[in-house]
Amino acid sequence: MAETVTISIDGQSYQVPKGANLVDAAKLHGTDIPVFCYHPKMKPVGMCRMCLVELGSVTVNRESGKPDLDEHGQPVIRWQPKLQTACTQTVSEGMAIRTSTAKVVEARDDILEFILTSHPLDCPICDKGGECPLQNLTMAYGPGESQFLYDDKQHLAKHVPLGELIYLDRERCIQCARCTRFCDEVVGDDVLAFHERGRKLQIVTVSDPPFDTKFSGNTTDICPVGALTTADFRFGARPWELSEVPSICPHCPVGCNISASTRLDRDSGGKKVIKRIMPRQNEQVNEIWICDKGRFGHHHSLSSNRLQTPMLKKDGAWVEIDWKTAYQEVTSRLQKYGEKVGFLAGPSLSNEDLWEMRKLARRTCRDCQIGLWPATMTGLEAVTQAGVGVGTHLAALGPESAILVIASDFEEEAPIWWLQVKQAADRGAKVMVANARPTKLDQYAKCVVRYEYGEAVEVLNHIAVFARRHDKLNQTLVEGRVDGFAELEADLKGKRVPKQHSEAAELLLDTENLVIFAGNEGLTLAQQAELMQAAANLLILTGHVARPNNGLVAVWPGANMQGALDLGFSAEATVSLLDNPPSMWVIGDADPVAEDARAAAVLDQAEFVVVSTQFMTPTAEQADLVLPVLSFAEREGTFTNAMRRVQRFYMAQTPLEGALSAWKVFAQIGSALPGGDKPRISAALVMRDIAQHVVRYAGMNYTDLAHVETQFPDVGGHDLYYGGNAYANHGGLGIQWATNAEKENYRLTVRPVSAEAPKYEDLTLIPIRLLYNRDVLFEPSTVMHARIPAPYADFNAKDAAQLGIIDGDQVVISAGDLQINVSARVNGQAPTGFVLLPIRLSQLPVPAAPAMCSVQKVEE
Amino acid sequence: MNLVRGFATTFKHILEGPVTVQYPEQERPLRERFKGKHALKRYDNGLEKCIGCSLCAAACPADAIWVEAAENTDEERYSPGERYAKTYEINMLRCIFCGYCEDACPTEAIVLEHEFRLSFNDRRDAIYTKDKLIDPLPAGVEGTPRQTEPGVYTRSIPDMKNPD
Repeated sequence: MAETVTISIDGQSYQVPKGANLVDAAKLHGTDIPVFCYHPKMKPVGMCRMCLVELGSVTVNRESGKPDLDEHGQPVIRWQPKLQTACTQTVSEGMAIRTSTAKVVEARDDILEFILTSHPLDCPICDKGGECPLQNLTMAYGPGESQFLYDDKQHLAKHVPLGELIYLDRERCIQCARCTRFCDEVVGDDVLAFHERGRKLQIVTVSDPPFDTKFSGNTTDICPVGALTTADFRFGARPWELSEVPSICPHCPVGCNISASTRLDRDSGGKKVIKRIMPRQNEQVNEIWICDKGRFGHHHSLSSNRLQTPMLKKDGAWVEIDWKTAYQEVTSRLQKYGEKVGFLAGPSLSNEDLWEMRKLARRTCRDCQIGLWPATMTGLEAVTQAGVGVGTHLAALGPESAILVIASDFEEEAPIWWLQVKQAADRGAKVMVANARPTKLDQYAKCVVRYEYGEAVEVLNHIAVFARRHDKLNQTLVEGRVDGFAELEADLKGKRVPKQHSEAAELLLDTENLVIFAGNEGLTLAQQAELMQAAANLLILTGHVARPNNGLVAVWPGANMQGALDLGFSAEATVSLLDNPPSMWVIGDADPVAEDARAAAVLDQAEFVVVSTQFMTPTAEQADLVLPVLSFAEREGTFTNAMRRVQRFYMAQTPLEGALSAWKVFAQIGSALPGGDKPRISAALVMRDIAQHVVRYAGMNYTDLAHVETQFPDVGGHDLYYGGNAYANHGGLGIQWATNAEKENYRLTVRPVSAEAPKYEDLTLIPIRLLYNRDVLFEPSTVMHARIPAPYADFNAKDAAQLGIIDGDQVVISAGDLQINVSARVNGQAPTGFVLLPIRLSQLPVPAAPAMCSVQKVEE
Repeated sequence: MNLVRGFATTFKHILEGPVTVQYPEQERPLRERFKGKHALKRYDNGLEKCIGCSLCAAACPADAIWVEAAENTDEERYSPGERYAKTYEINMLRCIFCGYCEDACPTEAIVLEHEFRLSFNDRRDAIYTKDKLIDPLPAGVEGTPRQTEPGVYTRSIPDMKNPD
């Protein structure tokens, strides 16, 4: 344990961590100091005055340096004449507080009475009623009656939209500034502010569009009253009617722990449905925050467009069939095509689904390819060797750490990591951003490296060269456990390091910890593989592996890409499948037709395509047989996040009638093949199979994955006033699988990487990822539609001038055979010679890798 | 002696008239506070008193009440506040007529009235929906939902009386 000091709370002595906040320290030992404005994740401001306590300190004799003692031999405490706010105190040796004396009780009484002067007391209809800190604290500490006149209450606007997601009730606001501080301190978006003074003080949004942040939902969790409520949940249920089911967000590689608040619903035929998504605490993943995509993007599971029966295409028309016939159709086809079957898994299948799919593939033929979609990222080998150490805690990184984010627009691709890295930068961590274009993280970076698209690998190579030259290598590790160093050294020798890169290297390598986040922006699959290896090389050589807070994280384009890679699926297999198309395809929850023109053409040529899917996607439409499967909310399973943490999600919602878990479907099909065994009866047993056959998952089981421990800050208990409405974790913290670097007897391999970058001479189109897009799982959440931009492309001002287009023009971009209609944006994002085109903003495919393009303006 | 006392009681009652009431031809008056079938009340202007707060359901010891709320708009207004009961159901087979719902109601919207003759042929019919529970409209008043002038109903719940 860290250094401690002794403080006295209500006459009892306690050891508490040095430097802790007094409210936190008291809470550690079970003493409640009620607060409204203080929040353990933010700096104290002492605005609400609810935490008043009697504060004193031990008097020390100046001559002897020892505490004065009274006649009983106890140290004499000098109490301060006035009450002090506990939240603004840091514990120090000999500090004494009294939290329940008459003076304190009276003060709290008065503060609450004052806070309630104009509070509307419309608790019966308030979404917060029942889980409201103000309600709870008033019941616990408040006065029975008010001296203020009821008729003198101030009446203010009750229904002020702050953006389209959050409503503000001005009467309920107690001006604690938690929401504005969250936006400023935690997120760094300057979107909320106080306006006016005194009784007129009010929260306003100062951004255009209003409340323009990707984390707005979190303000409703930490709001200690019902002033901020979400438009999505509004009046959906009373909190005590909801039952909480632990789940995992299916949208991005961070793997945020969420809690699905469910309730029976008349409109859904009496089924149990998700009413809202709340964050669930996991300090090593998402702390207590989630982004708006995770919070409001769950409506796909309740969409009326979900498929409910297997359908077979006969003479171009869909015929509904039963499951038995569907299984027979697939089995007979699998036997017929044998070697000529290709398998393709989507980005948000659970590990269990993937395992059964893989088993099915192995049973179909010896070397059936099992591909991964989208096939834009790879690098399992690099992650296996040099992935971040088990126990990595981004929320604890400080000045001793460096973080490199390369080839990724972090806020769009992994919002919660962005938030954590941003806060780490605020705490003094050295953040370096390397990208070909400006991204939002740049403003928090100590160092920004710009390169031309395609040259990302070069940057990492240069840093490695710098490390070798300046004696920053970890010699013990290199000599003891690393293979291939000689070749790599020979390759790196003689490279000239540009000044910008050596400055960056100096910054990065001068720290104890180094985490690298690697994306794929502007990289082809081959280049991205090299980038991952280059990152692994650098981390291994400099010894930034095998320790927590050190290592490599890939910013995968899906929730369970890591799991898919772990279980043998790969983007390389997809490429080889597309190069040598099989006659039959089995596709699990992927939509290649909508995303890639080439895949669409290949699938069009195939003789038989089976798709397991929740929706009639363009891929399903083009298929011959569709199998309806359940969404993440309606079944059990596990996802592996990009930090290799295997996490369980539970069945939250009554399963859609007619649909089955994907793993069950694959297992049923497989059981009818020669040598097939009986399907497992539960996801837990599938996980047992995985644990037996996959080394990385060895020893994992559902019981251990559900293990929880007390975390700091302790949120989600009875003390809602403290951490807000995020839920305590009852579903499991998950287990990270250990990298090879962490296993003593494994050798590590480095190899030279090719930094060859294609020279992009003509106008080149770079696909980029946006958080809010028309992905099949996100599109049904209509509440978010206002945030999804219409299809657009970013142009550099120079290129735009040359092409004669201005901001807002409609243009047609031709790349290969594709014609893409978008509106042009000219806002300084795109580097010269490049057009940035966000993927999945429409149902029409765009190139998945950098591609040459020409642009035509559409004349009106 | 005891024998005499016993017979005295018997003869006394012989002389009294019968207490039997010939129901259903005859009905005994109900007490003012008799708790029978629930009614959802309306204001004089025809708007519903219920705000869909679900406190009745929370108070119900028999879990007989089911409420789902939705938001009022000026185009489609059910109650004066922000919120109204989209679904309001009472399972009369479960209900024990304790009246806790009435006590819990912040707007005096639900009242146990004097109707006690509830009969149904199907268990499902025992679930009384909102249209069965809500009071009829006062004469000459527009029903709900109705369109209202913007800015008239701005409070989240109608102003309650001073608690004193």
